[in-house]
Amino acid sequence: MNMARRILIALIALLAAPWLAAQGDPLVEALRKYQAGELAEAMTLVDQAVRTPEHTEDPEAWLLRGFVYKDTYKTATPVEKADVFRDEALASLFTCMALDTAGTYRENAKQAYDFLARSYFNDAAKALNDMDETRALQMFSKYKEAAFRLDPKVELKTREVEFTNALGTVYTKRFNEDRTVLDWFDKAVGAYKVVMDLDPENYGANYNLATLFYNRGVYNIQRINADDEIPTILQIQEASREFFQQALPYMLKAHDMNPTRRETLLGLEGIYYSLQDQESSDKFRQLFEEIPPEEQR
Amino acid sequence: MAATRLVRILLVTPLFLFASVPQQPREAEKDTTAILQANYLYNIAKLVEWKDAGMREGNFVIGIIGNANLYQELIKQYSTRTIGKQPIEVRKLPRSAEVERCHILFVGRSDLALLPEVYKRMEKQPTMVVTEYAGALDDGAVVNFVKVQNLLKYEMSLHNAQKHGLVMGLTLKNLAHRVEE
Repeated sequence: MNMARRILIALIALLAAPWLAAQGDPLVEALRKYQAGELAEAMTLVDQAVRTPEHTEDPEAWLLRGFVYKDTYKTATPVEKADVFRDEALASLFTCMALDTAGTYRENAKQAYDFLARSYFNDAAKALNDMDETRALQMFSKYKEAAFRLDPKVELKTREVEFTNALGTVYTKRFNEDRTVLDWFDKAVGAYKVVMDLDPENYGANYNLATLFYNRGVYNIQRINADDEIPTILQIQEASREFFQQALPYMLKAHDMNPTRRETLLGLEGIYYSLQDQESSDKFRQLFEEIPPEEQR
Repeated sequence: MAATRLVRILLVTPLFLFASVPQQPREAEKDTTAILQANYLYNIAKLVEWKDAGMREGNFVIGIIGNANLYQELIKQYSTRTIGKQPIEVRKLPRSAEVERCHILFVGRSDLALLPEVYKRMEKQPTMVVTEYAGALDDGAVVNFVKVQNLLKYEMSLHNAQKHGLVMGLTLKNLAHRVEE
């Protein structure tokens, strides 16, 4: 049994002492079941308790409900079911804090609430790792909702930037898997632009967006084959030039932010090369060659 | 004329030979210029007539000096194709002006120093010399790749083509960035 749970049980047991004798109080029974680790029974009883007039506005009952649902969430499968328990746990803990004007349970409730809110963010990150952007967006939205519910003025910019950058990377990977689906490309561009709206000096977003545009231009040219005639080649080049030109300012900005980063030097070398600007391409190639790799510095 | 050509090439050459030659080769897959040049060479070959009857038999040989990526791209995309009935054969040539007989000879910018001798040796040959530097048509190239508004295009010299017994097609002329009569 973890420390938070032991504290909770001790706290509730102390405060609920007058009721312990009260036979048939579902809250007391729920606490007993919770102590015994019988979560399913505890859940039924605590649900019953919060519907009774005695406990419906009782922060203690909502705190116990929050803990019962939190612990149930931690072991529940599948994830969809676990998500429902987590939502209920958060809602109960929030209700507890809202009703607890004296602040008796606030610290415990907040600790559990923060844990659950963070778990949304972690799940969003995990979903991105698993390339499941739908779930990632859902989890991140729940994370924000939970954070704002507790503190409407909470600063989430750092998290938003971190998440959206990673989301852009997932969209980019999706696009790279099938470059005929331009929706992924548009979504990736959108994600990086959101990051730059929030944090114009974000190196990763500038570099990634530049690379995305550059690769799209290169991809168009890579598709050229023996059946393409000269007028088509000119059209393809013109289309690719647009992408190379779009890539350039973002890569230059990334370079300005970190002039000794080899990847941006190589990026600029490639963009200028594809823009048929050999002189600038050579300049950045030379700068790239002059800087030793990270591990040798 | 020859002295002017040499001066121009010497002025251009050191920039590439000493100042900024990439030490690491560019990834062939991302060498957009090589991809474009390969396609241009193939299309140009289709739109030119070699008057020399001997050149209309056997393999259609494209020789490449320098530019490994262009060679690779030609092998990858075009080596199974034909020009008319002549199967394409792509040859990576040694860095030397002693060039064997080929229909098209491309000399990349890393080997511009070889060009004065190449032009001299190719003067009477039915070979189309293709290169990529400013002023190449004046020096003797038939086709030269040029960079125009961030695009790769080509220019050509009908005079030089005629000297090598080549008839440049109308479409090729119309699509060129510049045609020197």
